[in-house]
Amino acid sequence: MNTKLGYVWPPILVATIFLGGWQLLVVVQDLKPFLLPAPSLIASEFSSGATLMWGAAYYTATTAFLGLIFGTVLGLITALLAQRFITVDKLAAPLAAGLATVPIIALTPILNNMFNITSRTPRVLVTAIIVLFPIFVNVTRGLIQVNATQLELMRSLNATPRTTLRVLRIPNAIPFFFTGLKIAAPLAVIAALVAEYFGGPQQGLGSRIASAAANTAYGRAWAYVLAAIITGLIFYLAIIALERLVTPRTAQVTTTA
Amino acid sequence: MTPTQLDSKNPGSALAISGLSKVFNVGNPNEVTALSDVHLDVHTGEFISLIGPSGCGKSTLLRVIGDLTAFDSGSVQVAGKSPEEARKERLYGIAFQQAALFDWRTVTRNIELPLELAGWQKSQRQERSAELLDMVQLSDFAHHRPWELSGGMQQRVAIARSLAVDPPLLLMDEPFGALDEMTRERMQNELLKIRMETGKTIVFVTHSIPEAVYLSDRVVVMSPRPGRITAEIEVNLGDRNEMTRESDHFFRCVTSVREALRVHDTSNSTSSSHRGEI
Repeated sequence: MNTKLGYVWPPILVATIFLGGWQLLVVVQDLKPFLLPAPSLIASEFSSGATLMWGAAYYTATTAFLGLIFGTVLGLITALLAQRFITVDKLAAPLAAGLATVPIIALTPILNNMFNITSRTPRVLVTAIIVLFPIFVNVTRGLIQVNATQLELMRSLNATPRTTLRVLRIPNAIPFFFTGLKIAAPLAVIAALVAEYFGGPQQGLGSRIASAAANTAYGRAWAYVLAAIITGLIFYLAIIALERLVTPRTAQVTTTA
Repeated sequence: MTPTQLDSKNPGSALAISGLSKVFNVGNPNEVTALSDVHLDVHTGEFISLIGPSGCGKSTLLRVIGDLTAFDSGSVQVAGKSPEEARKERLYGIAFQQAALFDWRTVTRNIELPLELAGWQKSQRQERSAELLDMVQLSDFAHHRPWELSGGMQQRVAIARSLAVDPPLLLMDEPFGALDEMTRERMQNELLKIRMETGKTIVFVTHSIPEAVYLSDRVVVMSPRPGRITAEIEVNLGDRNEMTRESDHFFRCVTSVREALRVHDTSNSTSSSHRGEI
């Protein structure tokens, strides 16, 4: 009990000091909302516009969720293909670095033209492409970075490459898969949100943040940002919950991203 | 149980190696002759140890027997078959220094892995793994995960796994190398007990002289550059008990293995000093 409270109190304390300091700064310095709105203003905008927040968050979360599913499936397929050709981890690392520099979000206007801009499709696609990379990179690693002795054991047991994949490589890659998902899930929310800045349907969080800011409703804009943060957090926590469910040994295993 | 009794029950050659050579990095400046003109015969039910300093090719020899690495020339016959055929017919089980258990499987399912790959039915697998767990005295840990077990217990699981399909030959590559001395001696006794119960032919790689002497019918001494067999010492300790390790015969055997190792150690140092002069 004591230890649990020990984990809970420090972040609450830090958050209280941070928000209190912020409020104090705005009041004492008499900062205008376009510069920095007070936490109290953001909170009142958030609660008064709760229905709108919920609707916008639901729209963007749906885009993010579809993109996450689609991108994860694509990432898993490409990783399975890649492990047949990339046998050394040395090749995976520069590949990951190279892919990380591709400005995928910049593809949105192009995808908007390729697909129906009035639909959700281009946004889901951008989200999927962004999700694909951390999944691909981590899962490929998990499939390749297999204990050498365990591989020798599989050979001694006359296992085919396919059997080795099923019995050894895929189970070995599961912690790596969750490492990838934990990066990808909040990223999916950000991608779905930012993709809305490039036109198309206006009911999502990104569109609402942009229009609130354009209409000088700064408190409201920040309230939508808060809703976006909460959405991203829910995605992250959902992945953690899924990981606990799938691998009860989580506490015992540490993987590097 | 003596080897001759096993012979009468199951006569024949478990392992016949002649003129075996293996070279790593052929043609490179760092070309290494891992094995040079190795001759070795092991009869069914015999327990032999391969001993020698690092780089003498003892692990490589084990891997050649198990078809985990190829060889360049000579002939290797495992129960009258090529190593590849022997591997494909699952004629040997192998245990390594690392237990190499799969963390995501329970102890039972680790032991059942070779049975799964050999296509055994579930009910047969369960029966066999229960038997093996009993043999290595881990029945209480059947549903534990490997990381919940001590190093010695993990190694017992690995040995049970190597025995799963009941192969006639057991290859062991320093399986007790990472264990503390007390655990190690206990494991040695357990291995001897398993050997008594199963009558397996065992090829055991180690760099511990007392371990080799205590376990084996015959100690095969190897030396490096090039890796080759330099001496074979028959050990006839008979039934081991707690006094065996303190007996004169045990010490005499340890001494002769140590001397066999030292002969080539000095020849090495002279050859290296020669190199120094040149």
